[in-house]
Amino acid sequence: MAKVVPRPDHLSFWERIYFVEIFKGLATTLGHARKSLLDADHFKVINYPEVQPDLPRDYRARHRLMKRPDGSPRCVACFMCSTACPARCINIVAEESPDHHIEKRPAKFEIDLLLCVFCGFCVEACPCDAIRMDTRQAVLAGDNRRDFVIDRTKLMDWEPKDYPLEDTQSQKAPGGALHDQAMEAFKSGTYH
Amino acid sequence: MADLITINVDGKDIQVPEKIQLIEALRQNANIDTPAFCYHPDLKVAGNCRICLVEVEGPRGFALAISCHTQTAKGMKVRTQLGSEKIVKLRKGVMEFLLVNHPLDCPICDKAGECTLQEHYMGQGRHESRLDDEVGKQYKGGADHRFVDSKGEERGGKRIDLGPTIVLDQERCILCTRCVRFMDDVAKSPQLDIAGRGDHAYLTTFPGKPLDHAYDLNTADICPVGALTAKHFRFQQRVWMLKSVDSIDPSDSLGANLTVEYNNGRVWRLMPRRNPEVNKSWIANATRMLYQDLGRNRLTDGKIAGADRTADDAYAAAGSAIAAAKRVALVASGHLTTEDNAALIALAEKLGPKAEVFGGSWLAVGKPDGIARSGDPVANRKGLQLLGVRDNLDDLVARAHDFDCVVVVGNDLWSADAAKAAKLEAIASRIVLSAWSNAAVAKATVAIGIRAWAEVRGTMVNCNGRVQIMQACPAVPDPALEPAWRAIARLSQLAGVPLGWTTELDAWRSAVARVPQFAGMTYRSIGPMGQTIVEAGQPAAVGG
Repeated sequence: MAKVVPRPDHLSFWERIYFVEIFKGLATTLGHARKSLLDADHFKVINYPEVQPDLPRDYRARHRLMKRPDGSPRCVACFMCSTACPARCINIVAEESPDHHIEKRPAKFEIDLLLCVFCGFCVEACPCDAIRMDTRQAVLAGDNRRDFVIDRTKLMDWEPKDYPLEDTQSQKAPGGALHDQAMEAFKSGTYH
Repeated sequence: MADLITINVDGKDIQVPEKIQLIEALRQNANIDTPAFCYHPDLKVAGNCRICLVEVEGPRGFALAISCHTQTAKGMKVRTQLGSEKIVKLRKGVMEFLLVNHPLDCPICDKAGECTLQEHYMGQGRHESRLDDEVGKQYKGGADHRFVDSKGEERGGKRIDLGPTIVLDQERCILCTRCVRFMDDVAKSPQLDIAGRGDHAYLTTFPGKPLDHAYDLNTADICPVGALTAKHFRFQQRVWMLKSVDSIDPSDSLGANLTVEYNNGRVWRLMPRRNPEVNKSWIANATRMLYQDLGRNRLTDGKIAGADRTADDAYAAAGSAIAAAKRVALVASGHLTTEDNAALIALAEKLGPKAEVFGGSWLAVGKPDGIARSGDPVANRKGLQLLGVRDNLDDLVARAHDFDCVVVVGNDLWSADAAKAAKLEAIASRIVLSAWSNAAVAKATVAIGIRAWAEVRGTMVNCNGRVQIMQACPAVPDPALEPAWRAIARLSQLAGVPLGWTTELDAWRSAVARVPQFAGMTYRSIGPMGQTIVEAGQPAAVGG
């Protein structure tokens, strides 16, 4: 909900003559300018595009594909994300999985980041928590357009150590804190 | 039309034919959407899903009856979901039972989007599941629930290979027996059955026998859930991404009605389109697989003396060859639409006495199979006859030396009969218009790529004299390709005798002008279901 700013019922004499208010506004602007000249450290500057800004975890950043304990993608190629996608930037080709528990898997999974509008609908639509946008990588740079079409390898190129321990789904991936017990459950067929 | 009787539905009198299934009367005459899983208009009634329940008045007041197995009778009083809370509640109960052990794998189920269970859940169910999906549900079809039956065969589970074309997912099956009834009554080859009783019932083939019938892919279409899926379409596309156009079977003279479903510039499947007077709801597997050829081995530009050239060069070469020739043979064909053949005939008239039209086919004619094929591979044979072209290819072969130019359109004579076609090589200039790079293209002096059957709009006349329209699917290997009639019109211009046609309607009007039986027919009057021609002095023929 947007915040509603009430309009003042009536203006006082000094407000109505206009000039006083102009100088009050100018004083605020000059105050900021003075502060910037004397104290440059309060500007937050990053070395774009080499350095990623420090963003909260729920910022909708570049996507990643979640992994099963054996390192395969959780994605079952159901096309819910590409169906929900308003920018049509997700390109999936499905294939039969040899694993009877999984049945279907992506042969190809590509996201065109130049088309993506970072709306997060794909994350909402995913029925198996296979796609997330919590990488905190918001600065995306490249030399050519092809670099912005990221495939499965790039989407799954993340380490559990970069994600908090409370994020159990990430920690179940290979190298994560919960990986060993998740792998056991996976082998015995009780993993969900 | 049978005599109409009056029945009372939810307090309103409606006129319906006598002794038809009540469900059809409700759907068609009363316009009340009545759900069904096991009922199919082209199959025998089984009455096992119970979702079509309505209340019908009997001697002891209103009692429940399944509308698929109740026939309309004079003075019948019916209450449906619109007039009875009880029916709404009952159908909700039926839905809950059907979904008790149904897996929630819609995201990976190929049927999702065209699934009757999904539709009726949204229409009649909308209940909260009372089962814990980890404990309460009994996924008896799951991979871990495979079992060995008394004959020692492995049963149950997902992804059961039933035969060369169909995969069964046991846990999705709701035992409606549509597929069993299709194989028994339509295919007349009982290959499927329900084994076991009650909660242990499962769909299966006979021990050691596969499901392999020339029509078995229809079982995947009529399956109301995702239990039977076609191997060729499995995991290829989600059905909601597909767009479709109506078309006609180009490989058989019965002209089974079908839809061409396409997406991303490619055709993904052909589905039967219900036409009770032609193919009911069925098409043959061979027809269904024709879509694979649409993207394979296509001739997308031209060839001159076997070397690849642009289409423009090939058109120019063909046009000047026709203009320079002393005697031109134009070979019309029953594989083409009526419009294409009309274009060839019009070109022959423009060329005057130096041109002669031949037609026909050397392909063997089989027997009708009684379902959706007549056995004659020349789809538009009747249309060619109506245009006055005789089956005289042998005549052309015998008189090959009289001609110095032959134009063959969409008819692979060299594959049909290589020995006879070899005699045509005596003709110096052989112009072939073909959608595929086939044997005829290899023997041509000039070959030009044209659109294939799915990509053109035109009419075909089936063996029973039914004129049917094929609509053009926009998924074409190269948008620059022309339909055959337009390619012929372009050649006519290059040969100095322009036809001046711009749309297929010009070609159709030319055909109507030539064929008295087509009088008064327009694309609109033919419509999606086709229109039967009236032979002079004969009543309208009935398809079947």
